Amino acid sequence: MKRAVLLALMVALLPTMAGADDLVSGLSQDQIQITSNYTGSDLVVFGAIEQSTDTSDAGKRDVVVVVRGPAATMEIRRKNRIAGIWINNREITLSGMPAYYYVASTRALAKIAQPDMLDRYQIGLDHVKPESASTHSSSKAEQFRQAVVRERVRAHLFAEASNGVEFLGYSLFRVHVPVPAGAPRGQYTAEVYLFKNGVVTSAQSTPLFVDQIGLERNLFNFAHNEPFAYGLATVLMAVLLGYLSSLIFRQPG
Amino acid sequence: MEIYLPIAEMSVHWLIILAMGGAVGFLSGMFGVGGGFLLTPLLIFYGIPSEVAVATTASHITASSMAGAIAQWKRRSVDLAMAGILLAGGLVGTAFGVWLFKLLREAGQSEFVVSAGYVILLGTVGGLMLNESLAALRASRSGNPLPSRPAQHHNWIHGLPFKMRFRQSRLYISVFPPLVLGFAVGMLSAIMGVGGGFILVPAMIYLLRMPTSVVMGTSLVQILCVTAATTVLQATSNYTVDIMLAGLLILGGVVGAQFGVRIGARMRGEQIRLLLAMLVLGVSLRLLIGLVLTPEDIFSVAVEGQ
Repeated sequence: MKRAVLLALMVALLPTMAGADDLVSGLSQDQIQITSNYTGSDLVVFGAIEQSTDTSDAGKRDVVVVVRGPAATMEIRRKNRIAGIWINNREITLSGMPAYYYVASTRALAKIAQPDMLDRYQIGLDHVKPESASTHSSSKAEQFRQAVVRERVRAHLFAEASNGVEFLGYSLFRVHVPVPAGAPRGQYTAEVYLFKNGVVTSAQSTPLFVDQIGLERNLFNFAHNEPFAYGLATVLMAVLLGYLSSLIFRQPG
Repeated sequence: MEIYLPIAEMSVHWLIILAMGGAVGFLSGMFGVGGGFLLTPLLIFYGIPSEVAVATTASHITASSMAGAIAQWKRRSVDLAMAGILLAGGLVGTAFGVWLFKLLREAGQSEFVVSAGYVILLGTVGGLMLNESLAALRASRSGNPLPSRPAQHHNWIHGLPFKMRFRQSRLYISVFPPLVLGFAVGMLSAIMGVGGGFILVPAMIYLLRMPTSVVMGTSLVQILCVTAATTVLQATSNYTVDIMLAGLLILGGVVGAQFGVRIGARMRGEQIRLLLAMLVLGVSLRLLIGLVLTPEDIFSVAVEGQ
């Protein structure tokens, strides 16, 4: 959480930098509701770069859009082959990793800025880091962090689109951010960064909320808040369906 | 239409789940088994987390044993005293199993224990059944009926203390064997999501020497109650029962079972047992390959409290 606050602060302080191009951005919706037949939708992050009056800085401008999900604690286990059988035998807990992460940019991130700059703002799948790890070995933490990235990419919850920023004319841009059905609920932030010559010159951060609503969410809450009643309800359903089937399909004789 | 399973936390197509329930129901109707040992691995192969598969299958077995238990009850072929003793052991076993499962889950070993347990159990049961059904087929082909087991009037079980009279089974035996048997089957139900009929029935016949006429009814009552208890306990201590998944599986299962029963009635006993043995061995082999084969990614990630 500390890191998130720091990051927010860094973003908040940036627009006050003088002489930079001004950035304005917005979201197509500030709330996404995942319902039972939700198969994923697109969040649109759009914005414009207001040209500065000073035309002397003709350097290449780059726009990077990052959408971060709520921070989560993740338990990562590694299997090892023991007597021919694959079995979990190493476990590390990483906390403060975003449960969802999407980054879109005008070109490959490595061409936009130096790694330390990307690290500072946690931009890119190679630069999104946990706040803490249950190990002192940084190489081991990195190995497990990469495992999280692989798993999240497979689940379509992490992605990097190196030319996902679509320019409509000179100053107007748009990014389609896919939000799949498995997206965790909670507060997200959509961050827009303007890079010039490898340095962040302007940034903006907007919160948005992802929530699960409808029957599934109610069932989930029921299962977690009233587990005994939920278990009984499941048994009752099973017993009733079993009983009904014996009435409907009565065996002859 | 895709639906979202609230506990398994994944989107599935409802028709696939319905079809899975139907297929397992069909086989369980045909073979006269609960089908938990087929359903749990099938759900795991499909991608349902193993702890959700185990806990949800228990509720599926509750439904599938309900119809059978009612029919047996009407025929008065339930030994209530025996069912009570088995159940007493069974409930303790279930509670112990759910507690053990929680520990395994926290240690990240539940998946391995479920898979390895299935490989051993199904491998053994399948092997024994294959052996027996092949011998029966060979005997019926050559025209010599198999020699029936020599009647054993006394085994070690009859020497145990705390004897009790089980009127309907016409038995006077110690309460310990049924207690231990119930405990073992209850634990199996909690850890592996099976009813345990494939262990309970042979044990009642050969170990306890109950008359075959009351074995089916008594075991069904025991399975019904134990899987119902397992469902409630898994829901309260592991939060792994998915009611949406259970509902779809049960709907498919009860319909599938009716067709299975009709097909099964037209087949010969040895043929059915041979098919079942091959099915059981196939599932066991598939799980064994999963344990031995190098996984796609040796890392797995669990997100806490989502």
